[in-house]
Amino acid sequence: MSAPGKALIDTAVNEVASVLLGKEPQVRLALCCLLADGHLLIEDLPGMGKTTLSHALAQVLGLSYKRVQFTSDLLPADILGLSIYHREDNSFRFHPGPVFTQVLLADEINRSTPRTQSALLEAMAERQVTLEGETRELPEPFFVIATQNPLEQSGTYPLPESQLDRFLMRIELGYPAPGAEREMLRSMGQSLKQMSLRRCIDEAQLKQIRQAVDGVHASDSLLDYIQRIAGRSRQGGEFAVGLSPRGVLALLKSAKTWALMDDRDHVLPDDVQAVLPAVTAHRLQPGGSFSGDGLALVALLHREVDVV
Amino acid sequence: MKQAEQLPRPALLWIILAQGLLLLPHLERLPIWVGAVYVSAFIWRVQAFRGRVELPGRWLKVALSGAAAGGIVLSFGSLLGMEPMVAFLLTAFALKLTEMRSRKDAYIVVFLGYFVCLTAFLFSQGLLMVLYALLLIWVLTTALVSIHRPAARLRDLRPLRLSGAMLLQAFPLMLVLFFLFPRIGPLWSVPLKSHTAKTGMSDTLSPGDISQLSQSAAVAFRVQFTGDIPPAQELYWRGLVMSALDGNTWRALRYFEVPPAERREPRVTTQGPSTEYSVIMEPTQQNWLYALRYANSPTSGVMELSDYRLYSPVIIENEYLYRARSWPDTPLEERIGDWRRETELRLPPETNPRTRDLARQLLARAGSPEAFVDEVLAYFRTEAFFYTLQPPLLGDADTMDRFLFETRRGFCEHYAYAFAVMARSVGIPARIVGGYLGGEINPVNRTVIVHQFDAHAWNEIWLDGQGWVRVDPTAAVAPDRILYGLERAVAAEGSFLVDSPLSPLRFRGVGWINTLRLRYDALTFEWQSWVTSFDGQAQVDFLRGVLGEISVSRSLAVLLGSGVLTMGLVSLLLFRDRRRIPRPAFEQELHRYQQVLWRRGLEPIAGETPAQLTERAVERWPGQEEQISSLYRALASLVYGGRHSYVDQQRQLREMRRRVRSLTFLH
Repeated sequence: MSAPGKALIDTAVNEVASVLLGKEPQVRLALCCLLADGHLLIEDLPGMGKTTLSHALAQVLGLSYKRVQFTSDLLPADILGLSIYHREDNSFRFHPGPVFTQVLLADEINRSTPRTQSALLEAMAERQVTLEGETRELPEPFFVIATQNPLEQSGTYPLPESQLDRFLMRIELGYPAPGAEREMLRSMGQSLKQMSLRRCIDEAQLKQIRQAVDGVHASDSLLDYIQRIAGRSRQGGEFAVGLSPRGVLALLKSAKTWALMDDRDHVLPDDVQAVLPAVTAHRLQPGGSFSGDGLALVALLHREVDVV
Repeated sequence: MKQAEQLPRPALLWIILAQGLLLLPHLERLPIWVGAVYVSAFIWRVQAFRGRVELPGRWLKVALSGAAAGGIVLSFGSLLGMEPMVAFLLTAFALKLTEMRSRKDAYIVVFLGYFVCLTAFLFSQGLLMVLYALLLIWVLTTALVSIHRPAARLRDLRPLRLSGAMLLQAFPLMLVLFFLFPRIGPLWSVPLKSHTAKTGMSDTLSPGDISQLSQSAAVAFRVQFTGDIPPAQELYWRGLVMSALDGNTWRALRYFEVPPAERREPRVTTQGPSTEYSVIMEPTQQNWLYALRYANSPTSGVMELSDYRLYSPVIIENEYLYRARSWPDTPLEERIGDWRRETELRLPPETNPRTRDLARQLLARAGSPEAFVDEVLAYFRTEAFFYTLQPPLLGDADTMDRFLFETRRGFCEHYAYAFAVMARSVGIPARIVGGYLGGEINPVNRTVIVHQFDAHAWNEIWLDGQGWVRVDPTAAVAPDRILYGLERAVAAEGSFLVDSPLSPLRFRGVGWINTLRLRYDALTFEWQSWVTSFDGQAQVDFLRGVLGEISVSRSLAVLLGSGVLTMGLVSLLLFRDRRRIPRPAFEQELHRYQQVLWRRGLEPIAGETPAQLTERAVERWPGQEEQISSLYRALASLVYGGRHSYVDQQRQLREMRRRVRSLTFLH
């Protein structure tokens, strides 16, 4: 690995973890997702630190940042922008929406209607916005960090599978560990209130890291392992749908990034396993005979696929 | 000493080692100061390497070379001849070390070393010498390799392995070249004759010659019979026929003394059974060959002479293999020509008068030539004659009179001499035959080893109606010599090989030494019949056997074909080791690595990666942490790693297999 070393990434992780106490693994995964040029979905109950995490990530990457709170009456134009008539020069002028930024935090994405959701998801996939017949490029890099409440919550519109697929990873934060929570209580959440984090990775370094990811070697043996995982997910009654080719690619890319973050020039099965739940759990649907969620399916893949 | 530093230290030491080893086989032939030159050159060069002294300048070098040449002349009396030339080369070789400054000079020294190595073969081509030369070539090649390894550690033996592998790869090609490459005669010839006299028969015989020769335990020749080995008393190996007596010396007839009509072998009608055998002669620097009577040789280049001997027109300078077939019962020259009769009767006038008188008396008593022979032999047997390896000197004139009537102690040549004189003086054509009698049978490969101490002289007399008949007067005096060999015959005297106290032949009583000696001798025989006697003629015979008829294009095709074939095989072998191994082979090893650890008691966990298993294994066997985790790292990098050399994958795979297997013995 060239200039942006493991030290750089570790600093970034530590910086973010300093505000999200005891959540280092999740922070690592989130960073991994962004370094792999993927969009991140954070799913958890309200008040677990989803917003804090996304905000902190944007700060350590030093990117321009906008936040949209999704509600049931949010319209696509509220995100993408719209043309407004100006009386002075008697013309329409385009007012860009919050999507024209480098990091977009889409808070509680599943509270808005499918129509709005899909407007955002299109922007995520194409990295451009087409409005009134005119195509506008989104800035580079462009990340979407979306948070969502668990689907059982009332007043939510669950994202369809096809759209979940666009997120490279989905992570859950979970309750903090007792020790970490105690520390947070002691400081009365001070760190959260006046959060201002050091920028750890600049744009040039980010670009280098992304190039380096492509250079990480995945041997045939490793590809065999990934294909065995995919194959297992596509057969048997436990799975309603298996991993899509896009899902398999996402798995490989995440594993490569994970290896790079570990300062290695080749991927090990351990890297695949490390990112497996985050990358695949939201893409898998339990089939009729299986009584468990996506994570249970991932555990099954983990268990039943031979590593070597 | 900036330039000297260009030479890596191990290279310098390898070169010095090679030079020392190259000197060793020559040591016995060299004056002692040459050894001193070597030691000084070594010290000088090493001190120069350490920056303590300077290497010699130009004038000093000229002076040293001059001194070396002068020293050789002083020690050998001349610069010409094989020993002084080799000594000069060796001395110059040592001095070369002191002007070895750069890598280029080191090349010259090493290449010169290959040449110096060959000079040892001028003196010996035995099996041991060849093995030693192989060692030398190995060391020299190692020196060559290490010249190219700057800053290598001294104890790094990889150059040794590399050069060994390279030489092994060259070995098949060497065989092809040896057996098939045309033996081109030398364009010019240097006098190769060695100054040291070769022990062996000479073409003259004076009393005392053979007894002197019998002190030597050297091998004269080895014989392998196709059928049974005839009994020892039949093994009269004829080499020389001495018909002329000059003063006190018997000698063979020179080529021009024989009239042209008599030079060809008379027609012989073979009779009776025959035996076939092949002989490998040690170099004699002479022309004659040894064979049983009456012999014919199918080997090309072997001639038959008018006195029924085998003869090589080329001097035997190397070990020489020839085949022969003998018909012992064949009568030889039943009708004798006038010239022959006259020659075989000629005696120096007015010598040995008492011997002649005795002969006349014995003939008168006997009546016929046949009975005369019995009379003479009876005379030797009944009178007080002794057979001894240490006969007294007999003076120059009338030696047989002194022998027969005064000393009466003699070796075979004395009895043969006396018999010949007595027979000739009464008109019976007689001559002395020189050669060897008997030989030691090597039970290992059923060869007969004939040593120099088997040298013997006997007579042939011509009888009307029978032709030439063998008479051995020694048999009358010492029948043991004929039946059991010299050792037994002189046992009472204790004079057998007194001058060679360390000869292995003296330890024949010690079982294992003797077995070892005989085994080595058998090996030598094989070596000689396949390698050292494989000369141009043998090559032609060999090719004819393979090709039928020899033509330039066919020989060329065989040579090139075999060359390409052997090199192709070698390259194939090399290629095999560089072949890329399909990754599953390494993956399989990784799998076996897991299985071995599972079998050793680590419960398999579903979905566990090898890295996690390794962690558990290290916890379980903390003492073997390095062994386990380094093996895992190696395997993982082979299975999952990106950058690989595809060289030596076979070796890597073998190594992985070995290391995985060794996990079975974790404790």
